[in-house]
Amino acid sequence: MSNDPPLLEIRNLEKYFEESSNVLDVLMRREPSQIQAVDDVSLTLEENDSAAVIGESGCGKTTLLLTLIGLHDATGGDIYYKGQPVSEFDKSDWREYRSNVQVIFQDPFNSLDPKMTVAESLKEPLKIHGIGDRDRRVREVLEHVELSPPEKYLGRKPANLSGGEKQRVSIGRALVLEPDVILADEPVSMLDVSTQAAVLNTMKNLIDEFGVSMLYISHDLSTVSYISEVVNVMYLGRVVESAPTEQILADPKHPYTEALVSAIPVPDPHYNRERTEMSGAPRDPVDLGEGCRFRDRCPAVIPPDDLEIPQAAYREVIAFRERLARDDLTLDRVRAELDDSTDTDALAAALREEYFDHDLMGENDAVLDTALSALAAGDGDRAGDLLRGRFESVCEQTPADVTTDDEWTVACHYYDDDTQIEEKRVPTTD
Amino acid sequence: MSAPLLEIEDLTVQYRTNQGMLTAVSGASFTIERGEFFGLAGESGSGKSTLAKAIIGGLDDNGEVTSGTLRYRGEEIQDLAETELNERLRWKEISWIPQSSMNSLDPLQRVSEQAAEIGRTHTDLSDEAIREKLKEMFDVVGLQQSRIDDYPHQFSGGMQQRAIIALALFLEPSLVIADEPTTALDVIMQDQIFKYLDRTKTSTDTSLLLITHDISVIFESCDSVAIMHASQVTERGSAQAVHDNPRHPYAFMFKEAFPDIREPKRELEVIDGYPPELMGDVDICSFADRCPWAVDECRQSAPSLDPVGDDDATHAAACVRADEAYELYEAEGTDPDGTGRTIAPEEDD
Ligand SMILES: Nc1ncnc2c1ncn2[C@@H]1O[C@H](COP(=O)(O)OP(=O)(O)O)[C@@H](O)[C@H]1O
Ligand code: SF4
Ligand code: SF4
Ligand SMILES: [Mg+2]
Repeated sequence: MSNDPPLLEIRNLEKYFEESSNVLDVLMRREPSQIQAVDDVSLTLEENDSAAVIGESGCGKTTLLLTLIGLHDATGGDIYYKGQPVSEFDKSDWREYRSNVQVIFQDPFNSLDPKMTVAESLKEPLKIHGIGDRDRRVREVLEHVELSPPEKYLGRKPANLSGGEKQRVSIGRALVLEPDVILADEPVSMLDVSTQAAVLNTMKNLIDEFGVSMLYISHDLSTVSYISEVVNVMYLGRVVESAPTEQILADPKHPYTEALVSAIPVPDPHYNRERTEMSGAPRDPVDLGEGCRFRDRCPAVIPPDDLEIPQAAYREVIAFRERLARDDLTLDRVRAELDDSTDTDALAAALREEYFDHDLMGENDAVLDTALSALAAGDGDRAGDLLRGRFESVCEQTPADVTTDDEWTVACHYYDDDTQIEEKRVPTTD
Repeated sequence: MSAPLLEIEDLTVQYRTNQGMLTAVSGASFTIERGEFFGLAGESGSGKSTLAKAIIGGLDDNGEVTSGTLRYRGEEIQDLAETELNERLRWKEISWIPQSSMNSLDPLQRVSEQAAEIGRTHTDLSDEAIREKLKEMFDVVGLQQSRIDDYPHQFSGGMQQRAIIALALFLEPSLVIADEPTTALDVIMQDQIFKYLDRTKTSTDTSLLLITHDISVIFESCDSVAIMHASQVTERGSAQAVHDNPRHPYAFMFKEAFPDIREPKRELEVIDGYPPELMGDVDICSFADRCPWAVDECRQSAPSLDPVGDDDATHAAACVRADEAYELYEAEGTDPDGTGRTIAPEEDD
């Protein structure tokens, strides 16, 4: 390896948004909520390299991308282009960066100007950056993205292109300035499968034959292997696992990645895939606080050493505590449905009904009972304390990254004191 | 023997347009039994949504069933009046999750009110029972039960989509028509919803017509499948028969175009060109311009959907070369002249 700095390096990048505060917040002098869209994300892209960022909608992929191209200002951490921090860019640095770092967006139907011909669309970035010899470059680029012969396409407008052809034009537009880096945001997810493979192929060629580096952003794990050797899996703003693509598909380590991989449909009627054990949905990335962000849904969330409790029941307690802490219980709604809204016993029972499907035993049950009664009587703090006292999990502390020699990184307490990730599997539950 | 739940026979649907009659569905035939999950696959524009809307009587104003029959529990329904469809079939018998259902909630009504209205019209359930059922469904789709009283605008897009799914399912309809129900959802949520659907199949014999461009979901979740290309059903049959022994070139190329995470390095098939828009009667194989095995005969008339194989009585393909195409494909691929249609990821080095 050379000692040159990486082409693009993201170090502990953070992008928080302040949720617009309402009148009540102001009156009550509440701190405005923080939307933690991207939180402490680090990634490296070498020259002629590719990396993928995978995650469900809302996990922060697009915010990451928009921060990378300077449409958002990072609230923490930094981005380094050839070793130089973006936060210290002057105008001309930005100009260079913007021509060297190009984006392909998801929607080929909206990303091209309907009034411009293919030739005009491709020449525009050249004009903006004052580059000559435009006709020749445009033709070359069209050949590269397999729109050939170029004559056939130069005069066409988007309305006369198929979805796949439009996406090729978008790729061409990104390519025409001969960038070092292409950031591709779900570039094939709106294409029909018949053209998806061909567009993936074109993008792969850019890396292999034209030396471009690519960050491939997608919700779809099944296409990643066609673009990138390395995958970073994001959940609620953080990268929870990063590893070589093939290995992660075959043997995911982080409980979230495992849930994600095992939920991918397999196109084979003879294959009996088990349906997911997960329930609920990811929460909003607002005021997430300390701890593993997957803990309210994690099938493997870790109970205290001395606690006897079935995993599924424990998960419900954790999820409930999360909602309580975030003030996200629908207390008023549940109360409104009671025959007598002042009946706190009934309210406690209704809460249990709404949030708990699994029965608890002995002391666990008693503590939950007392806590729900306290909550029903208006003392949420005491309810929280009681539940924490008995049920607090190590997962409420943010797990550190654990990295093996073979470039496998996981952030999960299961791997806390074990650098031999290989040998440890998350236990299956229930 | 009782009649199948839904029979579609030689169905043709056209839209009046400025250019003339556009044929969106041409001579489609298939049957859905009670408790059967049926997948309808194909590229965008192949006519899947049109077919679904024809079943539920929800075609756009310029659309019309121009020939063929639709039978529900043995009764012809293609000419039923709107009011009758509404009173007798919709929601309780057949529910429909429309494509891009995001805007199909009434913005002025709480979700629970919309449910109450549907429930009162189509069942004898008490309001209390309706609320309970809706709450159960909210749980299934990962929404907090007590949010049934929210207005649609209080939900994000993905949550609205899930609320629609809850509304379509809470009355336990006999047939669920789901048009790309989960494309906007993530795979884990999709799996949560299918887990529920699997349960209803066993517990109440629910049938599903699942419309999707994603053949993976169909192969693993459906009993039967039909693959459409530009208005025509190219091949149909049990999922196993179509998967193991595909006969129509579009069907097997389409299938081979899908990634499978079990084989992350498999070459993906590419289907060149795109489907034609068809005006007037369709009297060709609509795949002819894209098919590597096309011969003159393919453009002389629309191939009929004939039985193929001996694996399954419903297995049929509409291709004049159904006997040999797949063997040719296996022997020499789609690319005898070496123009490179497939994509292979890099080998390990
Ligand atoms: N209201 C309409 N008027 C005219 N053409 C339509 C209308 N709706 C759909 N079409 C056309 O009918 C064909 C089939 O469309 P559709 O049923 O939506 O296919 P799919 O659901 O498979 O994507 C397409 O060519 C489409 O453009
Ligand atoms: S840290 Fe705990 S909650 Fe988070 S993924 Fe690991 S086991 Fe699950
Ligand atoms: S061989 Fe002919 S009939 Fe068969 S799919 Fe090809 S074009 Fe259609
Ligand atoms: Mg459709």
